[in-house]
Parts: sequence; structure tokens; C-alpha cells
Amino acid sequence: MKRRELLPLLGLGAAAIALPAPARAQARDSVTIAQQSDAYTMDPAKHSDFPTANIMFHIYDALVTQDAKGDFQPALALSWSNPDPLTWRFKLRQGVKFHNGEEFDARAVKFTFERALDPAFKAPYYSRISAIKSVEIVDPFTVDLKTANPFPTMLWSIYEAAFPALIVPPGYVASHTPDILATAPVGTGPYRFVEWRKDDHVLLEANPDYWGGKPKIARAIFRPIKENRTRIAELRSGGIQIAPDVPPEDIASLNQGSTKVLNIASDFLYFFGFDTLKPGPLQDRRVRQALNYAVDVDAIQKALLGGLGTRIAITLPTNAFGYNPAWKPYPYDPAKAKALLAEAGFPDGFTIPLVTRQGRYLKDKEICEATIGFLRRVGVKVEARYMENGVWAQISEKHGREGLIFGGWSGRDPDLVWYPLLTTGQYQSYYSNKELDALLLQGRSTLAPEERRAIYEKAEAIIKDDAALLPMLQPPLIYGVDAKLNWQPRTDTIIDLRTAFYA
Amino acid sequence: MASLLLPRLVYAMLVLFGVAIAVFFLIRIGGDPSALFLPPEASLADIARFRHQMGFDRSLTAQLLDFLGRAAQGDFGRSLRYDQPAMQLVLERMPATLQLSAVALVISIVLSVPIAILAAIHRDTLIDRGGLLVSLIGQSFPTFWLALMLILIFSEKLGLLPPSGRGTWRQLIMPAFSLAVYSTGIITRLLRSSMIEVLQSDYVRTARSKGISEWRVILVHALRNAVIPTLTVIGLQVGALLGGAVITEEIFAYPGVGRLAIQAIANRDFTIIQAFVVLMALVIVSINVLVDVGYTLLDPRLRTR
Repeated sequence: MKRRELLPLLGLGAAAIALPAPARAQARDSVTIAQQSDAYTMDPAKHSDFPTANIMFHIYDALVTQDAKGDFQPALALSWSNPDPLTWRFKLRQGVKFHNGEEFDARAVKFTFERALDPAFKAPYYSRISAIKSVEIVDPFTVDLKTANPFPTMLWSIYEAAFPALIVPPGYVASHTPDILATAPVGTGPYRFVEWRKDDHVLLEANPDYWGGKPKIARAIFRPIKENRTRIAELRSGGIQIAPDVPPEDIASLNQGSTKVLNIASDFLYFFGFDTLKPGPLQDRRVRQALNYAVDVDAIQKALLGGLGTRIAITLPTNAFGYNPAWKPYPYDPAKAKALLAEAGFPDGFTIPLVTRQGRYLKDKEICEATIGFLRRVGVKVEARYMENGVWAQISEKHGREGLIFGGWSGRDPDLVWYPLLTTGQYQSYYSNKELDALLLQGRSTLAPEERRAIYEKAEAIIKDDAALLPMLQPPLIYGVDAKLNWQPRTDTIIDLRTAFYA
Repeated sequence: MASLLLPRLVYAMLVLFGVAIAVFFLIRIGGDPSALFLPPEASLADIARFRHQMGFDRSLTAQLLDFLGRAAQGDFGRSLRYDQPAMQLVLERMPATLQLSAVALVISIVLSVPIAILAAIHRDTLIDRGGLLVSLIGQSFPTFWLALMLILIFSEKLGLLPPSGRGTWRQLIMPAFSLAVYSTGIITRLLRSSMIEVLQSDYVRTARSKGISEWRVILVHALRNAVIPTLTVIGLQVGALLGGAVITEEIFAYPGVGRLAIQAIANRDFTIIQAFVVLMALVIVSINVLVDVGYTLLDPRLRTR
């Protein structure tokens, strides 16, 4: 009987063996990227999702882009200037055509932003571009973006990670139904849209007329594969060439043979926030300092992330505007932590909640557990509450986070990080400090880089000394990649195949 | 036939109505998706504005009546994330899921019927024990574990089968097999016990005494009668297969409706969840009606009643 039961299994194996080898010894004319999820739409202004954005960035371009180092570079705009503090003037690239032959000019820029800023359009990323009050055409290849207040972080609002800032063709949309881009996208990007088989793949082909030069790889395919093991199996068997979100424990096995691992510290920030608004020990600065001394972040980074990622001295990415390499984090000093707690009146510690999401970010739960372990050593007992994403969003909206808050944030300018997280009364802020409020407001009221740098240097001193947050690190982005593929990951998680090629 | 079908159809409508109301309230317990959908830096005003635009700030009763009224006309609303009609998104992915479930069902039946028959005729022998053990193992294997093991062995180690996707029949083998294993176990056990029962009945003894060949007795006289109770279970298994497809589709990156549903739940994409649940209820209710009809065709006693 057992033999009979085995027969179908064996038959299955035999049938598979008898088949010709799978078509995975493919010609090097395509690259397949397996992301966690499929695109939601092909309209860049209609989603709020990074996997979708990675596809969009190959069909469309923004006015400016970032290079591998994260510096802004010209894209559809060649140069930019500020004729006055409320105006960002962009000189546009000439001779660029959309995939349908339509010419790119200032009208396309005006149409793009006005379309996404129209409340009736319901752009999910409205908030990213809402500082733009109007778009004025100066001449066919010069355009002004006007703001109500000085807007020093404008470039962050108009590059590819600000999703609705990808430029769409006005003539094409006008001559079709308004939602044409959702299914039949047309942009100026390096790849043209070919087909979208829902939840299976999006196929793009190289645009021979791309203004930045025809991409070296003829076809780009995006496939949604949620399960980590499946993605890795596909990579190993040659079915895909780029697998994002590889777990650190798979690095060694993927860093050999036909595959390699690339990693880069992301712009993302791991840190703990403190709820200082409700009465409790966290309102005492000495307690917050003690918690900063109590956690050995370097050990956590080493043990849980294989040493990857970048330790931060303050809650700001090390590659952010104004980040001073001379800044130092609190050292690990549990004795000092205990002394500070005793001084604050908690010689035997206390109990506080910790709120976070589980499985949202790389090793998030493990990092919280490790932190809890370190805090227990200085007498602070932590009760962790891991929440599902939707519940977290509900609680956040009601400003109901409490105790230690592991939330995550990103942004490569102090104004994008400290203003929302630390200004009194901001929705994401659980902290209040009038002196800091004034500085953060100053920082967003001028465009002058040196002036801003000086302001944020002062702000940093306050944030550090008042221990407003418990900064940890920028987690790594880990990609499993075909060993022959020459491609560089970016810190903002955007995947760019413009210059990728096979060795 | 009409007297047979009519009460069942009325009952089916009631079930669908109940399911629609239940799913409406269940998915709203965790709150609406506005805060989840907008980027983290969105202000409270942005969230409130979006909530109003989407109508999530209306009373639950108003939203329920709106949903039921539209659903009755086949309009399940637009998906929040995809900005497309929700039912269309679900229906687009149905053929893939139906194909996967159908292949899995065929595999289950092809595997379980011979095992069950052999186990029943060799009752209490090593063959029987072996068959039971195999079906027990099949029922106890967690699908996700089995699926991952298949990928590890057949894709990573042996390089025989593609780990994911849809399009060729090679891509169907592993998902369909891992989906079929659980049902195979159940069907084997049930068919075996009803075969044992039937083989002891008078008409089987009569058939044998008339000198009919043993295989004819088993396959014609006994099997046809033993299949009747098993049919109900097979009908129920279709529901289990469609449900199990959710996990299988996720692991094998198979573009079916289960993956859409999982993602919609995580995203609080209400319209998709509603369309999915109502459609699944419709499929399962229809299968139950078909099973009832199938009974009547297989069992002449039910026809004369």
C-alpha cells in the first residue's frame, strides 16, 4: 500500500524529469524584479505604495532625480533657482518626447501638478505636494512652482519618491478618458509599458528614444512574490534577477555561485519615541537620558542585523541635510543609566508600555525585544503591545500611542523628520519644547542652506540633551541579485534600472 | 425538480444576504482605512478630508444601506487601492483560483479513490493501516509547510519546477498538489469507511453470490453507493480548497483571488473584501445546491419521494 501511495509522487517527479529544462537559461536581455506586491495602478498619482512607485519610475520621470549617493541631479528639469523665497523656477529639458510622441514642455508640468492637487482627484500622496500653491508657465521650457511660505524641502516633493510628481502627458489624457493612465500609461521614462497581467507581472520594454540614453537591458519585468522563501528560490533558479528584502540570515548562502547580495543603509530611521505628553516617568529628562544610556544599540545592530545598516547619533539619517559627522550618540552605560534613574526618583525602576507594529520593518519585533531586555537590566519593565497595521493607524490618528513608541520614520532633511516628530501639537509628535519649536519653525522659514545648517545645529543640541528620542540606526536594505547584473541599490528604496547592465 | 430546487434557492438567497451583512460589520470593527492609506506625514486634516471624500464618515447604517442597495444591482463599489470596480478585480482573478482548485480536486479524487478502495477491501491489513496513515499525515501537514518544502526540494535543490507564477502547467503542479493533500486525506478516510460499510451489505453479498466478478462488485455495486455520503464531503472540500488556495496562492505567487483578498484585508480595502466574500459564499452555496441535486441523481430513492 505504501508503495502505491508513493507511486503518484514518483510519477510527478518522473514527469518533471522527463520535461525539457525550464526556460531559465534566458538571454541576458531582460531583468525581472520580484517585489512583495503587485502594482495597484499605472497612474503615478493614484497610489501610496513603494512597489508601485518602482514600476512607475521606469515609465515616467520627475523634474529632478537622485544619484546613487542621494544627491539631487537634473532629470526633466535641467536646473533650478529661487528668484524669490516663494518661487522655485525650473528650466526644462528640451526635445523630450512622451512615449506617444507628445512633446514634453511646461504645460505638462503644470498639468501634472494641477491634476494631482485638485481635491476631486483624491491623490493619496496629496500631502507630499500640497505646499505647491500654483504652477506658472514662464515660457514653454521654464516653469515656476509657487509656495505660500518658503519651502526649503521642495526638491523632496518633486523627485520620484514623491509619487504624484512624476510627469504625465496632458494631450494624451485629454484625448482619452481621465483614468486612461491607470491602465495604459504613457510617460517620458526609459521603459515603455507593454502589458500588465494582474498579480502576475508588469512587462516594460526599453524606450529607444530615452533622453538619458536607451537602457542597456531590453525588457524589465516586475513580478509580485510575497513569500521570502519563494523569492529566494526564484533567484537561485534564475527566474528573477533582483530580490528585495532578503533576510540577513540568507546573506551568506546567497553571496556565492550565480547570486550575490547587495546592501545599503536605507534613509529609514529606527528609533524609540517617548510619550512625554501623558504624566509619567518619561516626562523627566533624566529618565529619557537614562533609557538612552541603557540600550546597547551597537550590540543590537551586530546581533540582529549582522552589523549592517548605519548607527545614528541623533534621529536623522547620516546622509541628511545638516547632519554633522561630529555628532555622537549616547554611549552604552548601564551604570550611568541606573544612577540617573535613582536621581529621578526611580531607584527600583518602573513599568511602561511599548507600542509598535509587528513584521512591518526588517527585524522590528526582534529589535524591540532586545531593547526590552536591555531596559530590564536597569530596572525598567516594559510591556510590549504589537499591533496590526490598521489598528496602529487608528491609534495613531487618535494620538493614542503611549510609553515607548517604535514607529519608524524617514526623511533626509531635519525639517522632514524633526518638525513632524518633535514640534508641539503635530499629529506625530509626543513631545513639546518651546525653544525647539521656535528653532524648527525658523528652519523651515528660509531657503538659505548655511542659515538652516546653523539653526539645526542648535536644534540638535536641544534634542540630544533633552533626550527627546532614543535614536538607533538606519536599517539596511538587502537585495539578492544575479551575480552578473551590474546594478546599484539606492538609500530611498527606489529601484532604478536606467544604468543597469549585465557584465 | 422545481420543488426540489425552489426552497433551496430561497435558502441560498437568505444565506447570501446574511453573509453580506456579516462581512460588512466584521471588516469595519477595526476602523476605516483612511489613516492607513495616506502617507505617514499626512496631517489629521488630510486624513479627515480623505475620509469625507470616501464617505467613511457617514453613519454605519447609511453605509450599509448604500452597500446593500448597490450590491443588489451588482455594483460592489470601487476599490480604494486600485481605484477600479471591486467585483471586476475579484472576477478577473477567479479563473486562476478556480483552475487551481479544480486541478487540486481532481488530484484529490484520483489519489483518494483507489487508496480508499484498496484499504477497504484489504481491511485491517498492512495495506489498510498504510492507507490510513498516509491520509492522516495528509490531513495533519500544514499547507504552508508542505508548500515551502516542495519549493525547497523541487525548485531549489532539484531545479525541476518553477517556484512561482502562472501560465504553464508546470507552474500548476506544486500549488495544486500542496492544496490537494489535505482533501485527499479526508476523502480517503470517508470513502474507506463507507466502502467497508457497503461491502458488508446484503446486495453486495447477493451480487457476489450471483457470480459477478469481484471487481465489478466493487466498482459498480459497492462504489456507487459508497460515493453518496462522500459526495457531501467532496462538496464541502471545494469550499476548503477555495479557502486553502489563499495560503497556497500567497506562497507560490499564484495570481488568484485569494492573494487579492489577503492584501485587501491588510489594506482595509472594504469593497474588495465584500465582493470577495459574497462571491465565495455564492460559489459555496451553489455547490451545495449542486451536491443536493447530485444526490438525487445518484440515489433513486430520493427521486421517488
